[in-house]
Amino acid sequence: MVFDWSFVARYAPFFVNGTLMTLFISVFGILLAIVVGLACAGIEIARVPVLRQIVRIYIELSRNTPLLVQLYFLYFGLPKLGVVWSAETCAIVGLGFLGGSYMAEAMRGGLEAVPKVQRENAYVLGLTPMQSITHVVMPQAISTAIPGIVANVIFLFKESSVVSAIALADVMYMAKDLIGMYYSTYESLFMLVIAYLVILLPISVLGTWLESRFDYARR
Amino acid sequence: MQGAEILLQPGVFPRLLQGLWVTVWIAGVSVGVSIPVGLVVGWLMTLKNPVVRALMRIYLDFIRIMPQLALLFLAYYGFARWFDWNLDATGACVLVFILWGGAELGDLVRGALQSIPKVQYESSYVLGLSPWQTFSRVILPQAVRRLLPASVNLATRIVKTTSLAVLLGVVEVIKVGQQIIDANRFQYPSGTLWIYGVIFFMYFIVCWPLSIVARQLEKRWSHD
Amino acid sequence: MTEPAQFNTDNAVNDEAVTAFETSAPSPSSDCKGFEVRHLVKQYANADKPVLNDISFKVEHGTVLVVLGPSGSGKSTLLRTIAGLEPIQGGTISINDQVIDEGRPGTEKAGRSNRSSALRTRIGMVFQSYDLFPNKTVLGNITMAPLLVQKRDKAQVEAEALKLLDRVGLADRKDAWPHELSGGQRQRVAICRALILHPEVLLLDEITAALDPEMVREVLDVVLELAKAGQTMLIVTHEMQFARAIADHVILLDGGHIVEESHDAYAFFAHPQTERARQFLHTFEFE
Repeated sequence: MVFDWSFVARYAPFFVNGTLMTLFISVFGILLAIVVGLACAGIEIARVPVLRQIVRIYIELSRNTPLLVQLYFLYFGLPKLGVVWSAETCAIVGLGFLGGSYMAEAMRGGLEAVPKVQRENAYVLGLTPMQSITHVVMPQAISTAIPGIVANVIFLFKESSVVSAIALADVMYMAKDLIGMYYSTYESLFMLVIAYLVILLPISVLGTWLESRFDYARR
Repeated sequence: MQGAEILLQPGVFPRLLQGLWVTVWIAGVSVGVSIPVGLVVGWLMTLKNPVVRALMRIYLDFIRIMPQLALLFLAYYGFARWFDWNLDATGACVLVFILWGGAELGDLVRGALQSIPKVQYESSYVLGLSPWQTFSRVILPQAVRRLLPASVNLATRIVKTTSLAVLLGVVEVIKVGQQIIDANRFQYPSGTLWIYGVIFFMYFIVCWPLSIVARQLEKRWSHD
Repeated sequence: MTEPAQFNTDNAVNDEAVTAFETSAPSPSSDCKGFEVRHLVKQYANADKPVLNDISFKVEHGTVLVVLGPSGSGKSTLLRTIAGLEPIQGGTISINDQVIDEGRPGTEKAGRSNRSSALRTRIGMVFQSYDLFPNKTVLGNITMAPLLVQKRDKAQVEAEALKLLDRVGLADRKDAWPHELSGGQRQRVAICRALILHPEVLLLDEITAALDPEMVREVLDVVLELAKAGQTMLIVTHEMQFARAIADHVILLDGGHIVEESHDAYAFFAHPQTERARQFLHTFEFE
């Protein structure tokens, strides 16, 4: 096996661009997922009628279908209804649609894990419902939800590799392209692995730090 | 709703179902083989041997950190060149899903085995049970209760991930859908919407019952 | 069986103890001072009979009422209704003749009484499960409500918190996190957290029931000190020795009714008047 370092050097900039695309899509997709997740968890906890049923249906649909099919539907299907989105928009909306349900479940789990007596203590001490939420319930809920949220963030970064299927030039697309053009399997796959390590290792370290920073409620 | 008639064309639905069968077949075989692999991996992970432990750690971490699509490429393009092993696309998919499922399931098995309190072993010993009786009558039934819900969830994930097979050129449900769309491009220009919509719900119909089963098991067994 | 904790039953007030806790509750100037429950009814939505039925009693300012009763007799529910955690369906709850909660039918399903923040701070409560707020330090737990609810001055509140912690022997743990404390220490902090609001009445709901036996004493000693300092309290407990030592006034609940009431704790424990009380007290004896 011959490993061609000059090939790596020549095409590394492509992978840097691909990595930036992966980061761009993932970061915005994850932010959207967090917003969607918060809204859904809020609706479920507050037991808002009708909306709650819609949220349940959304969560089931989103969790039980593959991102690839969601993306194809958005990218190829929706234009037939006159909704034409760029590949980037489709990718971000797709990740948000998929991740929103995962985030909602993690956040709801965190909220439900706060013992009832914590709210009772806050009530007896005279805290208003709003103070009880911001000073007692939310900090504890976040603490319990963080490991799940971090796992979801990593999961969504990985899932973002699927956007290469709608012709977005992320790292996966670069690797596939170079293998197709030059049959440079070793070098391309090597750079692909490195790119994902570069993206995911810091996130995983950051996640561990966040978990230890917020782990008061689980000790 | 123009374009919906594409679904009523002769052969369209049966062909999609055939494609779905390929999807389910790949997932089924992968899950089936993952179970024994996972049991062995899980057992290896509980061993004290530092070399085995380190190898298992690297295996699990590598599988976890790489996107499944990257693993599929590694298997499909990489194995062919490295080992002169001409794996077809379906074979590459099954192989990756087994390696992935085995690692994830192995970690679940490890967790389930380690979560059983030491006192369970001790009381079995005091009651005079043999090591095999202890394992089969005391430990295993408890481990399975902790294991099963997560394993069913893993199966759902594998079914969903099977969709990536289309990117290696496997003719499964999505590929069949694309062929139908291409063939009817001029007759039914908006068929795309309907075909992808149907595929979306086909995945949902396969995965949803699995999710419900997992949730029920979790609910029933979380109380003891 | 471990030896039960012995408490000094002698009611003579120790001078040192009186100064140990400053209770800011007004000193009794007229005979109407105190805490009173009249004809209280608590009914849950799906129950055929009320959990508490026509409960009336009065606790004089500076005295301690011990509520006894078998499990399911409604003792905890009584404390929870008084704290406002459960709305009541009949009767009144009042402090110094001011009604703070009034029974309203149709509230069987409601989660809380609708009393104001300010009214809630007049009644303190410590729960059985020794949960402090895990996201706050010891000092943070104690100073939270005075800062947020009473909007008091931070420096003054912290100084008072430290004084309280010192009284319960935990001054050196002010920056500790709840998970670093033992159950007994957490309960002592929880008592400080309630006291800093200067509650006119303090409710203690089986505060030692979930503790390891060796930690029970350190918590009960703090409560005894409080009683000597004149803190009005309603206590639910299963520690009979402690109950006898601290009670000025005892009620025995069973099936949602008061079956026996006594203003002489010693007499109640030595010569209960009713058969039900005799039976109940007998379950705590092993001779």
